[in-house]
Amino acid sequence: MSLLKKLKRMAPEPKEAAPQAAAEERPDFEKIGFYPFYLDGVRSQRRRFTTAWSDPELYDRLVNCLNFWQDTVHPVSVPKDASLLFFDTETTGLDSGAGTYIFLLGYGRVSKQGVEITQHFMEGPETEAAFLGGFLDDLGQEEHLVTYNGKAFDWPRVKSRHAFLQRELPRLPETGHVDLLHAARRFWKDTLPSCRLPVIEEKILNKPRTGDTPGSMAPLLYFEYLEKNDPALLEGIVDHHAQDIMSLIELYIVLSEKLLFPEKSAMTVESEASALWWYQLNETERAQEHFRHADKLDGSSSFKRAYYKALIHKKRGDVHQAAAVLENVCSAPLQGPYYVYEELAKLYEHQLKKMEAAQSLLTPLDESRMTDKERTKYRHRLSRVEKKVLQRENE
Amino acid sequence: MFRKRTFQELIDALKNNENISYWHEIAPVAARYAPMPETVPEKLKAALKSRGIDELYTHQAEAFQAVQKKENIVTVTPTASGKTLCYNLPVLSNLAANPNARALYLFPTKALSQDQRSELDELIEAMESEINSFTYDGDTPSSIRQHVRRAGHIVITNPDMLHSAILPHHTKWISLFENLETVVIDELHTYRGVFGSHVANVIRRLKRLCRYYGSDPVFISTSATIANPKELAEQLTGEKASLINTNGAPSGKKHIAFFNPPIVNEELRIRQSPSKAVQQLALSFLKERIQTIVFARSRVRVEVILSRIQAGLENDELRQSVRGYRGGYLPNQRREIERTLRTGETLGVISTNALELGVDIGQLQVCILTGYPGSIASSWQQAGRAGRRQNESLVILAADSSPVDQYVFTNPSYFFESSPETARLNKNNVIILADHIKCAVYELPFAEGEPFDDLTWEDTAGFLEYLSESRVLHERSGKWYWMNDAFPAHNISLRSAAQENVVIIDQSIPAKNRVIGEMDTFSALTLLHDEAIYLHEGIQFQVELLDWDEKKAYVREVSVDYFTDANLAVKLTVLEIDEEKELAGGTFLQYGDVMVSAMATLFKKIKLDTFENVGSGPIHLPEQELHSTAVMLEFSEEAVEALGEEEVEQVLLGLAHVWQHVACVHVMCDKGDLFTVPQVKSAHAELPTIFLYDRYPGGIGLSDKIYKEAENVLEKTRSYLSGCPCDSGCPSCTGMTAAFDGINVKHWAARLLENALYR
Repeated sequence: MSLLKKLKRMAPEPKEAAPQAAAEERPDFEKIGFYPFYLDGVRSQRRRFTTAWSDPELYDRLVNCLNFWQDTVHPVSVPKDASLLFFDTETTGLDSGAGTYIFLLGYGRVSKQGVEITQHFMEGPETEAAFLGGFLDDLGQEEHLVTYNGKAFDWPRVKSRHAFLQRELPRLPETGHVDLLHAARRFWKDTLPSCRLPVIEEKILNKPRTGDTPGSMAPLLYFEYLEKNDPALLEGIVDHHAQDIMSLIELYIVLSEKLLFPEKSAMTVESEASALWWYQLNETERAQEHFRHADKLDGSSSFKRAYYKALIHKKRGDVHQAAAVLENVCSAPLQGPYYVYEELAKLYEHQLKKMEAAQSLLTPLDESRMTDKERTKYRHRLSRVEKKVLQRENE
Repeated sequence: MFRKRTFQELIDALKNNENISYWHEIAPVAARYAPMPETVPEKLKAALKSRGIDELYTHQAEAFQAVQKKENIVTVTPTASGKTLCYNLPVLSNLAANPNARALYLFPTKALSQDQRSELDELIEAMESEINSFTYDGDTPSSIRQHVRRAGHIVITNPDMLHSAILPHHTKWISLFENLETVVIDELHTYRGVFGSHVANVIRRLKRLCRYYGSDPVFISTSATIANPKELAEQLTGEKASLINTNGAPSGKKHIAFFNPPIVNEELRIRQSPSKAVQQLALSFLKERIQTIVFARSRVRVEVILSRIQAGLENDELRQSVRGYRGGYLPNQRREIERTLRTGETLGVISTNALELGVDIGQLQVCILTGYPGSIASSWQQAGRAGRRQNESLVILAADSSPVDQYVFTNPSYFFESSPETARLNKNNVIILADHIKCAVYELPFAEGEPFDDLTWEDTAGFLEYLSESRVLHERSGKWYWMNDAFPAHNISLRSAAQENVVIIDQSIPAKNRVIGEMDTFSALTLLHDEAIYLHEGIQFQVELLDWDEKKAYVREVSVDYFTDANLAVKLTVLEIDEEKELAGGTFLQYGDVMVSAMATLFKKIKLDTFENVGSGPIHLPEQELHSTAVMLEFSEEAVEALGEEEVEQVLLGLAHVWQHVACVHVMCDKGDLFTVPQVKSAHAELPTIFLYDRYPGGIGLSDKIYKEAENVLEKTRSYLSGCPCDSGCPSCTGMTAAFDGINVKHWAARLLENALYR
C-alpha cells in the first residue's frame, strides 16, 4: 500500500527479521534449568531449585532475628506466622506504562535445608496470563515480601500487569512488604557512592560479583531472545536474577542484626542510623542502646548523639540528666552545630531557669560557624536571654 | 474643551473617516428560549435556578435532548452564548442519575481547563451533590493523582496529557475507562492541521481502550463557526455526529468597519502600515477609557503596537492598563492579564491570536484587527471578543498592502457572505499514524485482523509489519506486542514538529538572570538569532547569544529605534511524484513528496517609524529539515523563451507570491501553513517551476487539495492579478518585485497563468 511505501522512504531500512521456530519440545529451556508447566493449556516456564546455605550459620542467624522481630513493630519486622518471600523481577523497561512487561519473576523461600529459588519466565507476551498465574498459584496466604526497591518498582508493575489481565487471573492477595532499599539508604547513603544492590553486595556483604550480566542488559537480552528464540541468551540474566534473590536474604539478615543487636554495628554511622530509626518509632530504650554503642565505637560522645540522648531524657521528664549530657559536649573547645547549644539554652531558659548559664553558654559562640537561618535564631535568642538576665538583676 | 467623548460620538466620527472603505451593521438579535426539559434532575434544576437560569436557550435544550438519545453532537455557537451548558447539563444530569458514570473533558490548553473547572465547580456546589471534578494535568500534585484516577467523576484534561499520561497508564485508570459515558471536546475548531491529525489518533487510541474495558462514550464537541463542523467532529471522533447550530443567545448591535490605510507611495502602491493606523484608532478609544482589544498577526507586531500605544498615552495609570498578550509570556503572567481584563482593570490588550480561543476575558467594546487574520473563522472568532449581549460594539478591520487583505477589501461580500473556512486534518498522515500505532500497541497488543477505529486491518497490517521489522514490535501467535525499553508517547509531541523550545533568559541585571519566556525552535531561527531585537511586553531586548545546543537565548534590555526581520532560505528536493496532470500550453502540475531544508541566512534592521532598512547581518544557525507534500507548477521552456534567466526569476517570484496568498485564502489556512518556492531550473526537471508545500512534516492535506482544485485556484489567482489596479505589480499582488527594471512582472505572471489555463 502507498502509505507503507511512504513510511519506508521516510524512515531507515530495518534489518532482516530472524527466523522463528515454534517447537513443542524445548530442550534449550531445560539446558538453562527451566521446565514447562501448564495453566489452562498455556505453557509457562519455571525453574525451581534449592541451594544449601553457603554458610550454615546464616539460617540460625535469620531464625534468631525473626524471633526478635515477632514482638516488635518496625518497617523491617515481620509478624509471627508470616512466611518470607524474597522477591525480585526483571522487566522490559523502566517506565511504568502498560507496554512494559515483566518477563522474569522470582522469589526465594528459606528453610533449614537451604534456599528454594523459584523463577517464572515469560516465554512470550502471549503467555503472560499463564506466567503470572503460575506465580499467583504458588502464593500462600501469609506471604511477606522482602524486596529491594519493590515498593516503588517491582510490586506496582506486578499490580499493573495484573490489572491488565484481571479477567483471566485470580485476585492479587494483599501481602506485607519490607523494602530493603529504604533501610539501606538510612544506613549507608552518606558512606557509599550509591545504594544500588551491586554496591551493597561489594561493600557491605563483601561479595563482589564477577562475570555477572548486569541487570541493565535485561531488556535487550530479552528482545534478542524473542527474535532468535534462543533461551541460552538469557542464561546470564537468569543467574544474575537468582543471585539478586540470594543477596536479598543475606542483606535482610545483616540489616536486621544491625537494628536488633547494637554490637553488630561496625561503624558509628550504622549505630546512629539504627538509633535514629528507633527514636523516630518512639522506642527510646533501644535508641539509647545504639547511641551508647556508637559512643563506644567512637571512644567518646558526639554533638549529634548527645542531642538525641538529651531529647530522650527530656521526653522522660529528666531535664537535669538531659542538661548534663549536653553540658558534657558543649564544654568541648571546638564549637559544634548550633542546634545542640540551642537545645541546652532552651533547657536553661525554660526548665531550669538558669538565665546566666544560658547567657554564658551562648555569648562565646562564633557566628561564622552558623548558617544564616541559625544566626538569626541565635541573635534573637541571645538578646532575649540578655534581657531576662537584666530584668532579674533589676528585680 | 476636552470633554469625554461618548462611544456613539466616536462611532459617528469614524463613519465619516475617508479611509473607511466599507461599513456594515449587524442588527441586534433577541434571545430564543426553550423550557427546561422535564428530564433534568430536580437538584440540577434548583442549582440552575439559584444561578438565575429558569429556561434554556434553544441550542442548549436541543443539545441536551440529543445527548439523552445517545447521539454524538457538535454545537456551533459564537462567543458568550452559554455553550458550556450544552455539555455540563447532560453530563451533570447523567451523573446525578448514575454516580458510577465518568466523563472526560478535553480542552486544547491548560489555561482553558482551569477556567472551565471553576465554572463547573460552582454549579456542582449549588447542586449540593457528591460529584467530583478534577483537572488532571502537569500541575496536578502527585499526592492527589491516585484519588483523581479512582474517584474523579469528571476528569478535565488536555489532549497532551491524555496522550502521554492517561492512555499509556490505563491500568491505573480502570474505573474511568470502564465507566466512561461522555467525552467533551471543547474548541473543536482548534483541532486542525498537524495538531488535529495527532489528536484524532489519540481519540482512536482512547476509543480502542474504551472498547477493551467495555465502555462506549458519547462525544460532545463544541466549535466556533467553521464551514464543516460536522465533518470535522466526525473526522476527529470517528463517529457520526448531529449538528446543533440553532443559537438562541441574544446579541447587541454590532458595527463592522473596514479601514484601508492611505496610500503613501502612489507609484509602488504602498499603503501606510496598518500598525500605525491601528495604533491611532486604539488610542482614540483608550483615551476615553473604552475597553479595547487589538489583534496583531505576529508576536513582533504585538510588541511594536504595544510600545507605540503606551508611548501615546500621557497618563501613567492609563499606560499601565494597556498590556500585551501572546505565546511566550509565562502562564501566571497571562492568567493575571486575563483576570484584570475581566475586572476592567486592564483597559486595552494587544494580542496575537492567542486570545482568539475561549479564554474567558469577558466581553470588550471595541475590537481592532491589524490586517485580515487569514481566515474568515479567525476573523469572526476575534471579532467576537467585542460585543456584549445588550450593548453596541465595534469591530474595525485594518488592511495592509498584502494581496490577501486587498482582495478581502475589494470584495467585502467575500467576508460577509462566503462560507467560513473548512478545518482540515489528515489523521492518516503516515508519520503521525505510525507514531500513534506505536503508542496503541504499547497500550494494548494488536491482534491480527483488529481494526484501528475507522482503519481496517488491511490499512494497519503494513505498519505493524514495518514496526516489527524495525524491532520495536514483536509478533507472537498473531498478536503484535510492544517490545522495546522506550516509552513511545514521550518522544511524540502533539503540537508541532519541533519538539524543543528555546528558553529566553534576561541577563540585564548581572547575577539575577531570569527566564522571561520560551519559543519553539522554528520560530527561534528567525526571532532569536544573535543580535535579534526581541520584544517582550513592549520592552526591547537584544539577543546577545543564542546557544542552539542548549536551546537558550541570552538577552539584555536595550533601547533602539529599529526592529529586526530575518530571511529564511529554503531549498527543495523532490523525492517522488505521486500524481501528474497536464494543463494547457505545455504546463504540467505534479503532486508528490518533497524534502525542504530551511536555513536562516541574514537579518535586516528596520527602523520603527519609517520601516526603512538601516542595516543587516548574517545568521549562523544549523539547517532545519522537513519532509512534506507539495504541488509543483511546471512551465514549458517555450513559455518563457522571450525572457532572460534573471527576468524569469522575477516573474516566478511574483507569481509565487500571489499564488501562495490566493491558495491560502482558498484552502482557508493560516498564511504560514503553505509556502512557495520558485526555481528557474528545477533540479528534477530543469524547467521553470513553482513549488507550493505544506509547512508540516508529512503534509496535512493542503497541497493535496490545491492539486485537486488547481484550475480553480489558478483562475482565481489570474483574475485577482489582472483585477489589481496597479500597472506592473505591487505589494498587493506580486510582492516587492515591482521595481525590477525592464519587464512588467505582473503582465508576465498573468500571461503565464493564461497560457497554463487556456492555450
